[in-house]
Amino acid sequence: MEPIVVAKNLTKSYTKGLRALDNVSLTVDKGKVLVVMGPSGSGKSTLIRTFNGLETFDKGEINILGIKVDSTHDERKIQKIRRRVGMVFQQFNLFPHLSILENITLAPIHVQKRRQIEAEEYGMYLLSQMGIDSHAKKYPIQLSGGEQQRVAIARALALKPELLLFDEPTSALDPERINEVLDAMRTLAEQGMTMIVVTHEIGFAKDVSDQVLFMDSGKVVETSPPNIFFSNARHERSRKFLNQLDKH
Amino acid sequence: MKINQKLFLQFGICIIFFGLIGILINNLTINLIRTGLGFNFSWLFKPASFALAEHPLPYTSSDSYAWALFIGWLNSLKVIVSSLILATFLGTLIGFARTGTNSLLGLISAGYITIIRQTPLLLQLMFWYFVGFLGLKDNMFIQIKNILNISNQGIEFSGLTFSSEFLALLFGLSIFTSAYIAEVIRGGILSVSRGQWEAFRSLGISERKGLTLIILPQALPAIIPGLTSQYLNLAKNSTLAIAVGYSDIYAINDTIINQTGRAIECFIILLISFLLLNLLITNTMEIINRLILKSREYS
Amino acid sequence: MLKTYINSTIFFFKQIRKTIFLNLFNTIITLLIILLISVASIHAFKWLIFKANWKVVISNLPLYAFGSFPPDEQWRPATWIISLLLLSIFTLCGPEWRWLRKNLLIVWLGTIPLGLYLLYGGLGLSPIMSRHWGGLTLTILLTVFSSLLSLPLGIVLALCRQSSLPLTQKVSSIYIDVMRAIPLIAVLFFGQLLIPLFLPLGMEIDRVWRAIFAFTLFVSAYIAEDIRGGLQSIPNTQIEAANSLGLNQYQIIQFILIPQALRIALPALTNQSIGLFQNTSLMAILGLVELLGIGRSILANPEFIGQYIEVYVWLACVYWIVCTIMAVLARHLEKRMTINQANF
Ligand SMILES: Nc1ncnc2c1ncn2[C@@H]1O[C@H](COP(=O)(O)OP(=O)(O)OP(=O)(O)O)[C@@H](O)[C@H]1O
Ligand SMILES: [Mg+2]
Repeated sequence: MEPIVVAKNLTKSYTKGLRALDNVSLTVDKGKVLVVMGPSGSGKSTLIRTFNGLETFDKGEINILGIKVDSTHDERKIQKIRRRVGMVFQQFNLFPHLSILENITLAPIHVQKRRQIEAEEYGMYLLSQMGIDSHAKKYPIQLSGGEQQRVAIARALALKPELLLFDEPTSALDPERINEVLDAMRTLAEQGMTMIVVTHEIGFAKDVSDQVLFMDSGKVVETSPPNIFFSNARHERSRKFLNQLDKH
Repeated sequence: MKINQKLFLQFGICIIFFGLIGILINNLTINLIRTGLGFNFSWLFKPASFALAEHPLPYTSSDSYAWALFIGWLNSLKVIVSSLILATFLGTLIGFARTGTNSLLGLISAGYITIIRQTPLLLQLMFWYFVGFLGLKDNMFIQIKNILNISNQGIEFSGLTFSSEFLALLFGLSIFTSAYIAEVIRGGILSVSRGQWEAFRSLGISERKGLTLIILPQALPAIIPGLTSQYLNLAKNSTLAIAVGYSDIYAINDTIINQTGRAIECFIILLISFLLLNLLITNTMEIINRLILKSREYS
Repeated sequence: MLKTYINSTIFFFKQIRKTIFLNLFNTIITLLIILLISVASIHAFKWLIFKANWKVVISNLPLYAFGSFPPDEQWRPATWIISLLLLSIFTLCGPEWRWLRKNLLIVWLGTIPLGLYLLYGGLGLSPIMSRHWGGLTLTILLTVFSSLLSLPLGIVLALCRQSSLPLTQKVSSIYIDVMRAIPLIAVLFFGQLLIPLFLPLGMEIDRVWRAIFAFTLFVSAYIAEDIRGGLQSIPNTQIEAANSLGLNQYQIIQFILIPQALRIALPALTNQSIGLFQNTSLMAILGLVELLGIGRSILANPEFIGQYIEVYVWLACVYWIVCTIMAVLARHLEKRMTINQANF
């Protein structure tokens, strides 16, 4: 097994005394899907954002795709990581002034210095994979939330990443739009993409994930395979959380 | 690494920036030595030896340059404050007319606003001066029992006299600024939600009462910053006084430069004068703003 | 058919009653206004048709348009103005060809050398000194050149003011605040006086260019603040998204921040250039014969002495028409931007 993400003893606080991350360690192997769950404010976003350098941390070490980063936050290493790791945000964060296709080809052309025609061809291929190639010339505002999020996934895929990070990709969507995004993610997992997904979609976690990591107050409470986590979680705190989720 | 890079960039910019400044200052000193002027302020206390038509405080041409400059500053202040009041009054009226229910009034004020805003202020000032005042054919235009006296010399009103230069500037500035203030007022009124209008109408409160008691107080927070910036513009625009021959701070600086050639010193003086004027305006508006907020807390 | 017509007429009158004759107070005001307007317009028409002497305008039309540009070379400024006009129409209503849209900025910048070539001459055209430039040509020249030059300077100033490097940040803040505190006429006047003082011995810049520099220095401070407003309203998540794609700092500025900031600041920016167009008239009291300056020098001609009203009304019309055209084009441009792009 080849580990893609190894985090050791990550600790971070935004304000003194309050730890957003408290001694977090985890490993994700190649081709595996890790789902991160936890109540609001437990540090899920902070954790996932440290993996592509959007957040710094105070103590500990991460090793992404063999690139080691510690608390000094070496800008050049981070840049190297970002070229090989894609990220999808809760609010899509598409660039509103660029067309769908331009959103997707921006990074390949300017970061990877690919030729425009080549980047556009691959961009169209990705859009057709996501089932939205007919929208290529439109602008983000003209698309529904679910379509925008699929564009965001295509944009993240355009750099041919070896790891994909998702931060609550479906929580800004209407209920009937959620599945079109989850299906796209499912396909990716089947194709062997390594993914870390923050989500509260139990169905997705049960079907797709290899491990579920449960966090509370910046600490990892437990990491279990989904069949165990959802039927027979080891910790009282996890069970309480799942109960709460069920009620909704 | 990143810090190093930043330092390096900073250092590079520093060298370019100060290099440029150095070259400019070097050129300047060479030029000043060549013209034999140098850089100092001792001339400020020599007699100005020019006359001023208008001076709120005693002034003769044997007074110093410094005193002449101060008189100019007072003249500026005088025309700024009076235009500010007139412009606010006019602008508020037009702003109301623009938003009111009478569509004829609305149309006319819209026309007023576009004509005033789409033509240069300087042209308007010249119009007021050369057509409005100097154009008055007879020496005496209107004369009412020695109380009100309008002529091409200006207006005389029960002992107070206003020169035609001052009045042309006052009218030009006020009318120009009022069009902008009207838009500020309109923006403020539109920023209050429709629900508020419906609320007071449903209570049977009249349109005019509702506007002044309900809508305007809520619109003020949006209006005050816009007003402040219009007042600052008015202060800056008042320097066009030179086009109609009114001796404001800029016109006096201009005269002094023509007499003495001390452009750099005068530029600094003008800069300081305007910083003072701006401070005065922003601070006064800040105080007014705070008073409004306070009165709201108690009500 | 007739019925709908009658109905709509009735509706129209009802509407009029509702908005104009709502109550006694309103009715009185309305009647007063109608009275005032009719009196004023009767007088205005009388003056326009019987009293006004439009010879001062009609016989001097070439002067208003081109200043003292030699008569048989006047096709040159005319060509330039017409090409600018065509380009604006094309920018707004032209076809959506991609390569063209991308190169439009370059075409616009190309009008600078074109204008310079046509006005200065050389290379086959007879050379003409800048002191012969004047009238509407000079007004437009000052506006176009100063606008185009102050935009990049304004962008740089805004970025510097937003930057995390303390020195650049301080210097540009001071520059912007000082420029915004002083009146334009002072900047223009000292531009005429001081720019020569800061130049090395023997180097000279003519009046027109000194004016353009002064306008650029002044307007760029205002543009910088408009763009800074645009920059500040771009949500931080845009930068995060760009970061996560591996774009570096300069690429983020170039591809994400500046395009969005320009789009947000567009209405403010077009207002700046309309304001600039009006403010070029200040050069009339600083020795250039642009549109207002030509008007003044015509009024100084003994043949036309005292015909202030005719000249000023005519000039006001010209300024008003050009400003209104600019405003309409600007609004069209804004609409076009928002039709196919997002509000953020
Ligand atoms: N930029 C910030 N500045 C200060 N505190 C922050 C910041 N971002 C997050 N925090 C704090 O860090 C803790 C963890 O936040 P984080 O966003 O990682 O939680 P989360 O698990 O993603 O929550 P949610 O489900 O609401 O997205 C919270 O207590 C939050 O208040
Ligand atoms: Mg979160």
